[in-house]
Amino acid sequence: MLDHSKLRGITSKGLLPCPPCCPCRFALPVAWMAQPPPDPHFVLRGTGAAVHALHFSCGGGEPDIPVLFSGSENGFIHVWNLKTHRVDAALDGHGRKSVCGLKTMDGKERLLSQGRDQRICLWDLAEGRTSVTDSVFTENVGFCRCSLLKVAEGRWLMATAAKALEEVQVLELPSKTSVCTLKPEVGAKLGMPMCLKLWQGSCGSQPSLLAGYEDGSVLLWNLSTGKVLSQLICHQEPVMSLDFDSEKAKGISGSSEKVLSIWSLNEQQNLQVQKTHRLVNAGISDITIRPDKKILATAGWDHRIRIFGWKKLKPLAVLDYHTATVHSVSFSDHKSPSDRLLAAGAKDHRISIWSIYTQT
Amino acid sequence: MDEPQRQRLHALLRVAQLRQLLLQRRLRKGGHGGGPAPRRACSARGRARRGRTDSNPVPQDGRPPSHPATRGQRAASTGRQEGQATQRPPSGAGGRRAAHARPVGEARQDAADARCLFVRGGACAVRATATFLTALSPLISLGLFVAPRTRAVPPSLPAREGLTPGAGRRCPAARPRGRALRLSSEGEPAGPSHPGHPAMAVFDTPQEAFGALRPACVQLTKAQTVENVAQLEARLAAVGAGALQELQEYVLFPLRFALKVPGPRRERVVQRVLQCLSAVLLGTRVRSPRLLRELLSELCSCLPAPHGAPAPAEELQLAAVRALLALMHSAQGDAIVALYQPSCLPLLGFAVSLLLGLAERERAKQIKLAALECLQVLLLQCECQEHRCLREEEAQRCGDLFASFLPGVSIALSRIIAGDVKQGHRTTVSAIRLFYQIVGLVMADEQLARVPKQKEKPSVEQSRIAELIVHRGPEWSRSTSEKLSLLLRKTVELSSVHSHWKVRLELVELVQHLLSNCRLSLVDSFTHLLKALVGLVNDENSEVQSRCNEVLRGIAEQQVIAQSRALADVLSENLHSLATALPRLMNSQDDTGKFSTLSLLLGYLKLLGPKVNVVLNSVSHLHRLSKALMQVLELDVTDVKIVEDRRWGCVGGYDPSGSVQHGVQKGRCQRKYFRFFTEEKIFQLLQQVCRVLGYYGNIYLLVDHFMGLYSESAVYRKQAAMVLNELIAGAAGVGVDVLQEREVSLSMDDLKGSIMSILEEYTDQANWYLVTSIDTEEVSHEQLSVPRSGLAALPGAASSSILPSPEQHITTRTMNSNVWQLCIQLEGVGCFAAVLGREFRLLLLSALYPVLEKAGDKTLLISETAQGTLVDICEACGYDSVQSLINENSDYLVNGISLNLRQLAHQPHAAQVLGTMLRHSDASLLPLVEDVIQDVLSALDQSYNDQASTFLGVLHSLMAALVQWFGLSCSKEHQQRQAAEGQSRTLSHIQQEITSQEVERFFLDYIKQKQIAEGNFSDSGDEEADEVSPLAKPEPSNCDTEGETPLPSHAQLAKDVMERCIHLLSDRNLRVRLKVLDVLELCVTVLHPHGNHLLPMAHRVWPALVTRLISDDPLAVLRAFKVLCTLAQKCGDFLRQRFSKDVLPKLTSSLLSQAAASARAGPVYNHTLAYKLQLAVLQGLGSLCEKLDMGESDLNKVADACLVYLSAKQPMKLQEAAQSVFRHLMRVDPDSTWLFLTEVCCPHPYEPPHASLQPVKLRGMGRQRNEFTDSILLLLEELQQRESAGAQRAPPP
Repeated sequence: MLDHSKLRGITSKGLLPCPPCCPCRFALPVAWMAQPPPDPHFVLRGTGAAVHALHFSCGGGEPDIPVLFSGSENGFIHVWNLKTHRVDAALDGHGRKSVCGLKTMDGKERLLSQGRDQRICLWDLAEGRTSVTDSVFTENVGFCRCSLLKVAEGRWLMATAAKALEEVQVLELPSKTSVCTLKPEVGAKLGMPMCLKLWQGSCGSQPSLLAGYEDGSVLLWNLSTGKVLSQLICHQEPVMSLDFDSEKAKGISGSSEKVLSIWSLNEQQNLQVQKTHRLVNAGISDITIRPDKKILATAGWDHRIRIFGWKKLKPLAVLDYHTATVHSVSFSDHKSPSDRLLAAGAKDHRISIWSIYTQT
Repeated sequence: MDEPQRQRLHALLRVAQLRQLLLQRRLRKGGHGGGPAPRRACSARGRARRGRTDSNPVPQDGRPPSHPATRGQRAASTGRQEGQATQRPPSGAGGRRAAHARPVGEARQDAADARCLFVRGGACAVRATATFLTALSPLISLGLFVAPRTRAVPPSLPAREGLTPGAGRRCPAARPRGRALRLSSEGEPAGPSHPGHPAMAVFDTPQEAFGALRPACVQLTKAQTVENVAQLEARLAAVGAGALQELQEYVLFPLRFALKVPGPRRERVVQRVLQCLSAVLLGTRVRSPRLLRELLSELCSCLPAPHGAPAPAEELQLAAVRALLALMHSAQGDAIVALYQPSCLPLLGFAVSLLLGLAERERAKQIKLAALECLQVLLLQCECQEHRCLREEEAQRCGDLFASFLPGVSIALSRIIAGDVKQGHRTTVSAIRLFYQIVGLVMADEQLARVPKQKEKPSVEQSRIAELIVHRGPEWSRSTSEKLSLLLRKTVELSSVHSHWKVRLELVELVQHLLSNCRLSLVDSFTHLLKALVGLVNDENSEVQSRCNEVLRGIAEQQVIAQSRALADVLSENLHSLATALPRLMNSQDDTGKFSTLSLLLGYLKLLGPKVNVVLNSVSHLHRLSKALMQVLELDVTDVKIVEDRRWGCVGGYDPSGSVQHGVQKGRCQRKYFRFFTEEKIFQLLQQVCRVLGYYGNIYLLVDHFMGLYSESAVYRKQAAMVLNELIAGAAGVGVDVLQEREVSLSMDDLKGSIMSILEEYTDQANWYLVTSIDTEEVSHEQLSVPRSGLAALPGAASSSILPSPEQHITTRTMNSNVWQLCIQLEGVGCFAAVLGREFRLLLLSALYPVLEKAGDKTLLISETAQGTLVDICEACGYDSVQSLINENSDYLVNGISLNLRQLAHQPHAAQVLGTMLRHSDASLLPLVEDVIQDVLSALDQSYNDQASTFLGVLHSLMAALVQWFGLSCSKEHQQRQAAEGQSRTLSHIQQEITSQEVERFFLDYIKQKQIAEGNFSDSGDEEADEVSPLAKPEPSNCDTEGETPLPSHAQLAKDVMERCIHLLSDRNLRVRLKVLDVLELCVTVLHPHGNHLLPMAHRVWPALVTRLISDDPLAVLRAFKVLCTLAQKCGDFLRQRFSKDVLPKLTSSLLSQAAASARAGPVYNHTLAYKLQLAVLQGLGSLCEKLDMGESDLNKVADACLVYLSAKQPMKLQEAAQSVFRHLMRVDPDSTWLFLTEVCCPHPYEPPHASLQPVKLRGMGRQRNEFTDSILLLLEELQQRESAGAQRAPPP
């Protein structure tokens, strides 16, 4: 049975037609099938290169202009004004090397960008400034995106792959002091970390780190002890991306193979596979769970964005627009749910913006 | 005032005059027992007298009294005078008096009666009889008092006879005009020292003056004759103003005495006396209240009583009125104050009633006017400076007094106003003025506010008088205002359509005056008053107009309406009823009527000003108003031309001049035709109505309401859109003409919010994609994609109704309506842009794409309007041109196109937008749209089965644009080459001509060879170099680089497009094939400079093209030939062989085989396919041969095939086409063509110039004239001409 609330709005124009006496479980899939595939709300062009990273910053109040940051292969970070759908500013801070990660720290004024030039830069964008105020030299040559977690007011933790091949380093920002370095046991042969997710359970609990490795395993690290809490081999291929829902203690990971894997974390802090979902085409480059934990989006190498219900991993929609590998998907953080958006950046230099939130 | 009394007032008002008459009679009967007999006698005499005067119009002053009757009368009255003056007989004794003494007594009697009776407007006439004696007492005492003093004056001063003639001169002519003039000149205080009598001695001291005046006075007292009066008058002229003032009463005595003289009245004497009296009064001031009262009553007695005695001569009446006027003007200070006391109410009432009677009944304009003027003064409404404004408490008291007269006065005045037009506008004007002045005084809000709730208990001694005084309590004011409302309504109705503008102007004043004074008390009347005022805004007279505007503005500025709820209610009530009646009026009235009705509507709205908002909050008002607007604004959609007008240029080649920048001027708004009116100014009024609504009204409410109407029914849609557009303009304050500023101006955000919601609705699928044409090509998509308006009303239907509704019958009417709908919406978009200015840039994201879509529409009207909208947007958003608008927003457009391309079935217009963009922009756009062009191509790849035609349109515009942007270089070089070729060819021809003999040619060849051997051919400039260079020049650069550098993007695009064309060339649909051929030709043109890419493509195109050439519809064959020609220009060699191998044999054979058929065929053959094919081939073949530069054998084949078509048996068209082939052949190879033709038919024998040469023998010589002769002769002739022309043109080598 389909969850109606998730389905509604996955159309190009507003609501799905839903009969008044809506027996949704039968009527809807049919109606949905009859629908043409949804269209993007808008497509942003002009990055001039493949888009690797996306990050929304739309949480501000009314006078604040919602913004989307995009990082592209040519090392530029574009600041897109989501009202005019145009580039407000183009930031060049990674020596024309691909930008692979973007995060903001409290609003759109402070931007954290990670580039393939092995640097993580902190930008000051307030009042039209576009200067790098600080930077961290990671010395890592991999593709692993860093993960950022706010632990207290003015205090962040950032996990990033370190210089050594298998290591992950956790820094505290803005002081840049190292919290810990997470080294797998000798002989674990995990390969490089591919993706990281810092998370913190219900308030007060210790922040933990989930890391996906080249060999297809996902490890849960305890940051205070620097020890592995649990290890789960859920893929045969490198884990390309993962996301974790700390409320349900459930995560999802995608790799270069045709499988999505859902795993959960039990009370004993053990990871276990809950379910796998087979895809038609191999390769997932990014996975994001919507902040309201209802649906998730995957960026596929098959040029498609897939939307699933998070609860049961029910496929809801396939968003087909791009003509090349999709590198990144991101959900916006608009205050009003009706404004919220999904953005996907792809190798075809375009960023597609989708409006797939329910109207209610 | 108690209830029954009020009722009686009401009843009695109408019969006041009648009652008075009755009562007079009763009194007279009761008083002196005299029946109606003396009266009758009197009136008979009066009639006779009057008749005499009329028949004897020489009442010159200074003339000796010769008339026996006059003399007799005078004698009688002189004899009587003593007794009359000394012992005042009681009035009751009047009956026993001699008949000739009657008039004076009776007049006084009547006066007294009437005074008592009418003072209260007849309200309590019965009771008034009781006060009769009281009222009369002043008169009696006056008489007793005055007489002794008169006697006391010794008549000692000798009369200055010399002055008489002068006085005579000064005295008036009988004609009223002359008298009026004189009176006015004497009206000045310096009257006695009139500049007309410089020699006159002036008596400045009272003693001197007394000396001068006394004899005349005495004389006059003794004998009341005209001469005596004239004498006095003459003396008076010499008396200084100060002295006269001293002697005022003295001088007045004989005059007054003359008036009161018992016995029959001598009109001329009385008239003269009255004139003299006014002169005295004008020169002096009446300071004593008593004197004033007495004079007033005496003068009143000279006026004819209403319905009473026969009216005296007009001159007399006039003189009396003027004397009264003079009296009132000369009254001063205390005298006035004393007069306007309750105790004088009867007297005043009497005067008023008399004057009213005069004004109403008298025929002479002069008298009417004078009476009205006099009334004005009497009611203290005089405008002259001497009369200071009343103080507050005075005004209050006067108001109380005049309230008693109000009913009578107002009725009488309104009767005058309603009177015959012949009475002249001045009468009406002064009546209106007096009317509003008195009403304004009595009903003044501030006075009524001060009136105590309860009537004061009158003190005992005054009680009788006090009873006469009306208590202006709330009840009274309510009932009075009800009655006044009736009168006002009548007045307004009559005078608002009065033919004289001054009357209308006075009406405006009336409204203004009442509106400023009686806002509360007369609230009921304002319905009509405001209606009149608002209606007069558009008066034909500019003065009325401007005054009206001024008044309206004043009202608005003082916020009269805003502050008074009652008035706002009145206005909104008016508005409501007008809105209700509007559709009916619009149906029935003519344009002028409609205009005034609508101006009324507009006026109400303007007057309401900010209160409009309140009014609109009432559902019923809004409903009425909007429905009325909907009905009035209904468009006439029967014009067939609208649908028929198509935009050309999209289908037929690229038309650079059609781009927006050149084509559209600003300010064009498609003229709309309405069902209910034709005049543009009516539409402008309606526009103003909407704008004013938008200006004052709550924009959210209005927009919401009209949006509701918009989506409610297709019937309202156009009108609602029109209204919405104007509302927005009004809300932004654009082009609104209002009387007062709104309180809070609309914030930009609110405006933007409304505009965004409207825009969204306008550009919604259901409202934007309407069926506007039944192009076979397009309608299939349209029907597929366009949700019907009926369905669209259902929410969600827009997205789900993919299924067509074929049963819907689309009439021209519907389409017309749709066209207008779109135009209005497009205009709306333009208007919104203008309103928002630069802010509109944000909305371009959603608005630009739809507009551009419509700019590419095939219906002329729509595309023109859309282009106008584009210009508007440009201006509003600050772009230099449409081009920069498109270029700078190409990202939005590209986004729209690319998204819509994904759903072609629903959005067949996406391609059109791209087409429009390309048409309106320049080369700089290309990099921006490359992306989307790729999308188009890939979309085409996916769906070329059903959407090919749409896409080809885009590809065509794309290629056409590319040719235009980048084709310059190719074509330039192309032209160069052609020119060079042509030159070389002519050169060669000429050379051939010159070296026609073998020897010479050989010789020249030799020289050439030698030069080449010497390496000196560069500057020789002969044909070989010419032939090589133009071909070679562009070649190296291209050839060398093409291998390495990638193609420029436009060429790459052309290549991509060409690739698609290859596939589409064999489409089943002829239209598609034709379009493909067009596009192909353009592709070839663009790819021209890039031979290395063109040739492989040409190679791939070839097979499909051959099929088109050989076996296709004639149309396609013709186009294919064109393509081939274009292609041949570039890759001639490449094609030549293929052509001669693949195509030519088949063409020639088919031509030859068909020739027989066509030669035999009749006129019907012209309609067959075979004929068309023949024609197409023949038309194309010639140019192709030329372009391909074909070899001799091929040319011969062509010539052979075409020869048969030169036959006269062939249809004319085919002959012509065949001739054209030969013409082309002539260009390629004139000699062989000549030879070929002469072989068939040779008209001239060619004689060898020298006997040693062989005679020329041609096969065609000497042949019989046959079917080919005509054509061939024609061709040979042309050839001859060409040759000779070429020889002349070309310089000798």
